[in-house]
Amino acid sequence: MSGGPTRRGLFAGVGVLGAATAVGACAPRAAPAARAAVVPFHAANQAGIGTPAQDRLAFAAYDLTVDGSTKDRRAALIDLLRTWTSAAAAMTAGRPVPGDSNLGAAPPADTGEAVGLKPADLTITIGFGTSLFDDRFGLGDRRPAALADLPKLPGENLDPDRSHGDLAVQACSDDPVVAFHVIRNLARLGRGTVVMRWSQLGFGKASSNGADQQTPRNLFGFKDGTRNIHGEDTATMNRWVWVGGETDQPWMRGGSYMVTRRIAMHIEAWDRDFLTDQQNVFGRYKYSGAPLSGHKEFDKPDFAATGSGGPAIPADSHVRLAAPENNGGTHILRRAYNYTDGVVASSGELDAGLFFICYQQDPRKQFVPLQRKLGASDAMNEYIQHVSSGLFACPPGVRPGEYWGQPLFA
Amino acid sequence: MRDTATRRARRRTPRAFAAPAALAVIGLLAAGCGGAGGASGGGSNKVAIKLTADGCTPSPAKIGAGPVTFTITNSGATKVSEAELQQKGVIVGEKENLTPGLSGTFSLNLKAGAYEVYCPNAKTERTAFTVTGAAAKSSQSPKVQAALNKAVNDYHAYVTGQVDVLIPATKTFTDAVRAGDMAAAKNAFAKARAPYERIEPVAESFGDLDPRIDARVNDVTDPKKWTGFHRIEKALWKDKSLKGMKPVADQLDGDVKKLKALTDKARFQPAQLANGATELLNEVASSKITGEEDRYSHTDLSDFEANLSGGRKAFELLEPALKQLDPKLASDVSGAYGTVSDALKAHRGDYANSGYVDYSTVKDAQRRALTQKVDALAEPLSKVAAKVSG
Repeated sequence: MSGGPTRRGLFAGVGVLGAATAVGACAPRAAPAARAAVVPFHAANQAGIGTPAQDRLAFAAYDLTVDGSTKDRRAALIDLLRTWTSAAAAMTAGRPVPGDSNLGAAPPADTGEAVGLKPADLTITIGFGTSLFDDRFGLGDRRPAALADLPKLPGENLDPDRSHGDLAVQACSDDPVVAFHVIRNLARLGRGTVVMRWSQLGFGKASSNGADQQTPRNLFGFKDGTRNIHGEDTATMNRWVWVGGETDQPWMRGGSYMVTRRIAMHIEAWDRDFLTDQQNVFGRYKYSGAPLSGHKEFDKPDFAATGSGGPAIPADSHVRLAAPENNGGTHILRRAYNYTDGVVASSGELDAGLFFICYQQDPRKQFVPLQRKLGASDAMNEYIQHVSSGLFACPPGVRPGEYWGQPLFA
Repeated sequence: MRDTATRRARRRTPRAFAAPAALAVIGLLAAGCGGAGGASGGGSNKVAIKLTADGCTPSPAKIGAGPVTFTITNSGATKVSEAELQQKGVIVGEKENLTPGLSGTFSLNLKAGAYEVYCPNAKTERTAFTVTGAAAKSSQSPKVQAALNKAVNDYHAYVTGQVDVLIPATKTFTDAVRAGDMAAAKNAFAKARAPYERIEPVAESFGDLDPRIDARVNDVTDPKKWTGFHRIEKALWKDKSLKGMKPVADQLDGDVKKLKALTDKARFQPAQLANGATELLNEVASSKITGEEDRYSHTDLSDFEANLSGGRKAFELLEPALKQLDPKLASDVSGAYGTVSDALKAHRGDYANSGYVDYSTVKDAQRRALTQKVDALAEPLSKVAAKVSG
């Protein structure tokens, strides 16, 4: 693929210039040096977890439909993972799906919508759902203890048709077409072996450029992820995100557990809430992102600080309930995206919210206790509802020649 | 006077049988892929067609057999926006909606013979175009070629056989309509449609005939000109009155008889059989499973079965050759046909003499399961044409 500027790149440049002009105070800067924007596919850990979050998400859960003996089914699953892995490696590098796309008498191997687009930091991350470890593939004794079904959590109202799945693929890129292209082509490559169970598109950050990077805002208009784990913080990643020697299933070492929650926001109600209350719900100032005990976004929240008539950061605020210091130090790596899917047919209100994705070493000790607490006490619950759920074991990264999850079948 | 808008609206799928002289349309997408190279490249003849108010003269007007790419340009003709390549009145290839300033291409593998370039609404609508010589020799083994020859001959027999069933079955239906016997007409509806649905991609290749016989209400621009099975279906199940349906019934009889003469002289190529089978599944997915096809009668499942069996027939005729060319693909497709057939059997019933249940009683989750199985079949099936076109 040529390195010249694409049409998309030119438009992006106009956007940057426009923003600078609008802000006024910012001096126009030279455009950042063009970079390949390719995240390596082959690595010790899967990309898309610790690597910087891109702007766009295309997420899909798939169910296997293969029949036959356990051996047949297992062979079909391995065949699929091999096919998917080679396609994922190609797409991540900006190449089309392997196969002939120029044969006049045959449908092209690649669907084509990403032709001419750069990968824009595309990452493709696979996860294995709890149902993959039932009796269909003979994998029952390979199910990690940490992949325990999530318990019923307070306040959730889950749609089974939009939850769970045998396999999950998280495709992230700064280009929405590139991300969508992944889940579409993997579904096509798996036709006859898998069906897409549900999917979710997400949009998130205004920018993912390093020095420019700001904490993005969710659809409530608040900064989201101020105290998130940074992928380059190896010690924290090893302690809280990557599976290590503690696992009962060695095939998961170097992997991580992904929890997904579609969190519907009652946008209309939220938008009618007065600013002080919105800030009390979060425990942060809306515009600066500073904790209500401080002045700047990255000030450490002071949960002992008092304001007029009580704690500066309210007892039921989101930031207090979720903070590591109030949860035995527990961290999770969040990788959420905003979503909107039109309007709710029955109400005419916006169907929008947060597609929450988090990664961790052991959901039983991280997501579950955190959400149990938040679901029961968070002031934000007046404005949100968890409507879908997924739990997936993401295997370690692959080396050239290997396929996704190969140690699981060893 | 033909109704171009009607015909266009009807045309949702690439028509395998549109081109009796063409192996397949080649390189349409590759041209846009920026240096992708490949099939549309070297060795292909080029023909330019300029759309003007006076006509559409091909340049050159005579070429040798083999791959040809037509480039159609409209630099200023406001009334002419389409060019078709026709042979004996059958559309072989075309480019439409070329308003002034636009250009487009289509590519074909043409056999020797006399053709016409047709541009509706020009002063001279038809211009002769000649293809000379013989196309390149096939790369297939004599054994495979023999199997493919048998496949196309047997498929021709199948198509004409279905038309022979269609004509009297339609007459049973239209006789009841003319007699004003609503119950008898409803009972004959699904049975009359089945042979048509089995060979639909072939019927679609004969210009206006398919919309006259099988257009749905959303396919027509002027509901007053709406004719065929579905017009009478609406009268029977929705309007509950056959008032005004006699001329529609008479025209339907005449139209299916016209199919007879056209299919008798039609000749097929292996890739057309395969692409036609895929088109039949696309029909299933896009209009039967959605319930759009028989929206008044809810007899969609018998049309589903007819589409499925018509495509399966074409595939089974190709199967002996395909087994030699790609045994795994042959067994994948065959297995997937079995899976879809089994899934459909679960919905058998005796609603409206259709052999199936009332489609409005089939729940979304069941429709979804059917679609997924059809998709799982159509994906490998779509790879067959390239294998058998050598």
